[in-house]
Amino acid sequence: MTNLTRRTFLGAGTALGTSFVTGGLITGGLSRTAYAQSAEITVTAFGGVWEKAVRDCFVAPFEAKTHDKANVSLGDPAQWLAQVEANPARPPLDVLIMTPDLALSAAKAGLVDDFTVDKLPNLAKIPKELTDSVMGKGTIFDYGVGGITYNKKTVSNPPKSFAEFVDRVSSGEFVASVPSISYAVTPIMLIWAMAKALGGGVDNVDPFFKAMAKMKDNLVFWGSPNDFFNQLSSGEADLGVYFDGRTWNHYDSGATWIDFLNPEEGGALNGVAVQKPKNANPAAWAYLNEILDAGNQAKFAEILNYGVTNTDVVYSDKLKPRVTPWQKTSFPPYEQIAKVRNEWVDRWNREIGR
Amino acid sequence: MSMVRRIDWSFFALLAFVVVFFVFMLAPILVVVIVSFTSAGFIAFPVPGWSTKWFAHIFQYKPFVDALIVSIEIAIGATILAGLLGVPACLFLARSRSRWAGAVMTFLLSPLSMPMIVIGFASLFFLSFLGFGVSFAALLITHTVVCLPYLVRTVAGVYAGLPRSYEESASILGAGPLRVFWHVTLPLIRPGIMAGSLFSFLTSFDNLPISYFFGSASTNTLPVVMLSYMENQFDPTIAALSTLQMALAVVGLIVVDRIYGIDKMTVAA
Repeated sequence: MTNLTRRTFLGAGTALGTSFVTGGLITGGLSRTAYAQSAEITVTAFGGVWEKAVRDCFVAPFEAKTHDKANVSLGDPAQWLAQVEANPARPPLDVLIMTPDLALSAAKAGLVDDFTVDKLPNLAKIPKELTDSVMGKGTIFDYGVGGITYNKKTVSNPPKSFAEFVDRVSSGEFVASVPSISYAVTPIMLIWAMAKALGGGVDNVDPFFKAMAKMKDNLVFWGSPNDFFNQLSSGEADLGVYFDGRTWNHYDSGATWIDFLNPEEGGALNGVAVQKPKNANPAAWAYLNEILDAGNQAKFAEILNYGVTNTDVVYSDKLKPRVTPWQKTSFPPYEQIAKVRNEWVDRWNREIGR
Repeated sequence: MSMVRRIDWSFFALLAFVVVFFVFMLAPILVVVIVSFTSAGFIAFPVPGWSTKWFAHIFQYKPFVDALIVSIEIAIGATILAGLLGVPACLFLARSRSRWAGAVMTFLLSPLSMPMIVIGFASLFFLSFLGFGVSFAALLITHTVVCLPYLVRTVAGVYAGLPRSYEESASILGAGPLRVFWHVTLPLIRPGIMAGSLFSFLTSFDNLPISYFFGSASTNTLPVVMLSYMENQFDPTIAALSTLQMALAVVGLIVVDRIYGIDKMTVAA
């Protein structure tokens, strides 16, 4: 009798599980049918003020003009790329926001569509270099610069170049905070940018590793942007390598002791690319065109304190001195960096270890 | 000299260790709680002034509220499904003499030994292949998989320790299988179910590595939205949200203790 009870329950569990699986399949099928029949697209955004800016600057004009609906999915590029890779025939996302290295991965894997002026009239106003940097399968619409952020209370005369930064940190004049290797864009904003500034480049990052060895006694590392701010506000570090837009966001939040400068050699441009997955809803083109619109980009820049790429954009008086023109940055060779990235990470782990 | 001999140094050493241990454990949490009440627009310690505006901001930021609802739905759903699948499995496997029983039990517990990020990544591709895509159903299935071991482990532990004679006595006295289960087995394994359900709910509610891969406009859970927010925003809203979560957890535990008794559950676990 007892065995029968167990078997009954085991059977009931199996039946429920089967029902659940079947129900899920049906539900999944229904949801996709509904999706195909409605003019709804799913777009992507980072959380916080980014999401608000995306809704205000891009989603609102898109919905007003097309009467279609754009749902906003929060997350990050690695997550979105994995979701599209897993569902290439029916991508769950219609517009991707990507870092350039992942945008290149998506382009090389054939997961995303070509960007052309036929489909995107506003693409004509985006510098060609920024579209070419992701193989023409997307474009960079927004960018930050990895330069020198410092605490004005402790650094009255900041270093004007990466070379001066290295010398003065090595001598013990300052404690500097730099991104750790766990931060996704460290190979670009720190390793490549500093190697290039010190006479090296993609093929020769020895100058960077030598500089790190010289500075090692006066370095701390940040794993996430918030760590950097905490280190600066607590006095653990005096200055460091950080982004312009984030610096100005801190300033506008009340941390008026913080300041930023683009080093003479040019800080690395950290672009944000937009892409459209293959087989995504064609309504996404209209949304992408709104992203590349000058008026919408100007509004977006005003909220986020980052530079945008439409050549017709006119920045406000507040923003003009804050935004570094992309031509004054060091434009990373993303594709070449992607090839040697793992090698750099290995070397970092061996020689720096943090 | 006799005074010195009477001092129990081991007691003071243990006391010092306990104090340091608790400071080490609680100080970071205390800092988060204090920072959540700051008036500043950024995270800084010590705080320049006091305000509750960051708690209000939690409810003003719609993705937090939407994600909280999804997290609760998934955690409850995954716990119920894990119970429906796991409890019958335990009843069968805990006393089975089959040589496969041990292997099946190990298989059911195996998600515990795998990195969650691997389960999440693999499930994304597998469930997409099956047609679930990035959906609520896919998220629920994957959460159920990782919640299952918590229920199986606790219920199997309790059930294996029960003498067979209880159920056999009920059967001899004429109770049918369902009555035996309802009146004898279920009350006896209830501490295991409660403990497993609590672990299961908390595991699902706090899960990031799996939810991360299934996040979409309608299925983002609270940890995914918190991560995305934290990477791009510097205000103390996340500290306020963490404080609120801790407060809810404490209130929840007090309520469970009053209704059921934490002691019974921890004994089962």
